[in-house]
Amino acid sequence: MNYRAKLFGWRDPYDLSGTDALFVDAIRENVFFHYQHCLEYRKILTREGVSPEQLQGIDDLRQLPVLPTLYFKRHTLFSIPERRMVLRSTSSGTSGAMSRVGWEWQDCAHALRMVLRIVRRHGLLSLTPVNYLVLGYQPHRSNQTAISKTAFGFTFFAPGIRRAYALRYQGGGYILDLDGLKKALLRYSRQPFPVRTMGFPAYTYFFLRELQKEGVRLKLHPESRVCMGGGWKQFYAEKIEKEELYALAEEVLGIPESRCHEFFGAVEHPVLYADCRRHHFHIPIYARVMIRDVKTLQPLPMGETGLVNLLTPLVRGVPLTSVMTDDLGILHPASSCGCGCPSPWLEIIGRVGLRGITTCAAGAAELLRGAK
Amino acid sequence: MILSRGEILPPEQSGAVLAKLPEWIAGTYADGPLDPACVIAACDTLAKRIAAGDYEDAVRLVIASGLATRPQIDQAAAFFCRENLEYKYRTEFGAESFPVRERPPGAPFAIERRMAPLGVLLHIAAGNVDALPAYSVIEGLLAGNINLLKLPQADAGLSVLLLAALAEIEPRLIPYLYVFDTPSSDMETMQRLAAFADGIVVWGGDEAVAAVRQLAPLNACVIEWGHKLSFAYATLEASDEALAGLSRQILSTRQLLCSSCQGVFLDTDRMEELYQFCERFLPILDREAQRYPLPDLGVQAQITLLQYTERLEAAAGKRLFSGSRTSVTAGADCTFELSLTYGNCGVKRLPRGRLAGALRPYKSYLQTAGLLCGPADWQPLCALLRRAGVCRIRTGEHMSIPIAGEAHDGTFALRRYARIVETEIP
Repeated sequence: MNYRAKLFGWRDPYDLSGTDALFVDAIRENVFFHYQHCLEYRKILTREGVSPEQLQGIDDLRQLPVLPTLYFKRHTLFSIPERRMVLRSTSSGTSGAMSRVGWEWQDCAHALRMVLRIVRRHGLLSLTPVNYLVLGYQPHRSNQTAISKTAFGFTFFAPGIRRAYALRYQGGGYILDLDGLKKALLRYSRQPFPVRTMGFPAYTYFFLRELQKEGVRLKLHPESRVCMGGGWKQFYAEKIEKEELYALAEEVLGIPESRCHEFFGAVEHPVLYADCRRHHFHIPIYARVMIRDVKTLQPLPMGETGLVNLLTPLVRGVPLTSVMTDDLGILHPASSCGCGCPSPWLEIIGRVGLRGITTCAAGAAELLRGAK
Repeated sequence: MILSRGEILPPEQSGAVLAKLPEWIAGTYADGPLDPACVIAACDTLAKRIAAGDYEDAVRLVIASGLATRPQIDQAAAFFCRENLEYKYRTEFGAESFPVRERPPGAPFAIERRMAPLGVLLHIAAGNVDALPAYSVIEGLLAGNINLLKLPQADAGLSVLLLAALAEIEPRLIPYLYVFDTPSSDMETMQRLAAFADGIVVWGGDEAVAAVRQLAPLNACVIEWGHKLSFAYATLEASDEALAGLSRQILSTRQLLCSSCQGVFLDTDRMEELYQFCERFLPILDREAQRYPLPDLGVQAQITLLQYTERLEAAAGKRLFSGSRTSVTAGADCTFELSLTYGNCGVKRLPRGRLAGALRPYKSYLQTAGLLCGPADWQPLCALLRRAGVCRIRTGEHMSIPIAGEAHDGTFALRRYARIVETEIP
């Protein structure tokens, strides 16, 4: 039985209670696959005294060993031969601290079904051609980071007329070209098509603020959208309230808050979380989330702050079944949101540590600082 | 915030201050040398005012921000009293603290030898101890220099406050004190500041030092106070009281200072003895930890992640002994490893016979060794540790206690901020 196919084919992407049993089956199937094909993963399970058969109910998932993203940065774990990997991606860490992830065909096919289902649910699929402003990297074969690939992927939810990039590849490296982006935006604003921006929230914010300072006030096509992903990372210190960002989008671009969207995901947990109309990340059926105590790693009840443990049976290329990010988060009950979505929502409140483990937006931030 | 000519100004003024600086510096040179006695007197008054609670609001702010504890602040304030600074001045400058007049053997004439300031010092301070930037400047003043201080980003404002207070107490210090809060990334301003300097004092890691070397004009000397490593060396005879003292050192400094104990080397070759030591040490460390605040959630989370990752890696024979607040990790090798900070301490085997050889690769980084042993071992182990390259040997509890006139990483700071001038006596 292919439980994963069944889970990723499920109609309602937020029907958590209806898919609990199926999710556990899919996880067990996935763990069994990695157990058979990845020696290092098998060793970890054996040492921690866990076998795939033990995973029978949703509560058993807490027994499954969690791999921190740090582990993927130090070790490359593959469960399929590299020649069978159709997609590879890395996190954007510096000094070699980078997770390497590889996907097989089926992984990609299921991920695509997931993405389409989520974006359709959130009304992001459209047949109207749009112009894209990517506040991130221009794709280039030398750039394996998931963030650049994801951002590029986003420019296909509606047919693209043109794509402009904040980080252009030029002469063997990336340069920050806010000026070019600005010009493109002004050009787009005179065309009868919607505009979609896609990029890091921090970039979006800084870009909008620049435009505001210059007195730019546009009224973009009413179907335009602001899309953000990639998290705040080391911009936490400068983190502004989301409300401020939405107000800025309205003021500068004429895009209302209801058409601003944020996404969440990670190389080590490639599930798409899209925010609801109240801008909360509800857990889709393709994942389950546990918050763990920062000292004992025991699962915590809803509402408490801890390390974020993310589970998904999506990937067979790498044992990403149960991972822990460098984030601190809180899981809130569905009822506390008020948008009507029946699934609990995840709030990311910051990164672990004082020093901050640099990952995704690191390179972007460096370039931004250099440009200031 | 910037400080210039005794006034606290908003950061926007830094351009205007920098433009005037060459003229002001030239004027200060012309006005003649700074008398160390007036620096000492001003510091003494400041210390008394701090003790009397005159700066209580600022002190509370520093404590609340977690940068220092009340006893650490009291200690630091006491450091500025007359007795301490006079002792420091005498000790560090030695005979030259008063001009020496003598005729060297075989010399055709007599000379006078005295200390003179380098001139203008640019201090680029680190952010891990509050008031350290101010302390660095006071050392510069004692040696008679004009001081430009670039604040660390993490500074809570205490340094500016302390230095402004000094200027207010003793107006003669005003032309010797300038503070800027330029970010390190503002290369243009940093280069302008560096261009004024005869000496650049840099606190921080290899990266900071490398960046400053790039900045420094060729004719300026760079005085580096780089990051150092400290550790404890214990024999099996180390008493529970000594271990409790070491625990307090570890917990009160959170293992963040250069002089903080990063790990314990145990005088044994046997893993069983190492494990037994860990089992004895952990409850002592955990008990002492009850008297200190818990680390911030994010810090604890990071420590847990690192430990958990090591567990998954089954890192080369490491064994974690985890308490309610702290932990001790037994390591199988005898390499120097940084602690995970906040009361999470590594313990490794290092029999005394192999001590000097094992520590040799870290020689330029070694600072303080805390020694925990029986009385008969104290002298011979001190000799071994000195040969291994440490600059300071203390009991575990006292590793980070500052004392007047102590050498800094093996040299006297004041001497580095000064030069010796020899004058023929006609």
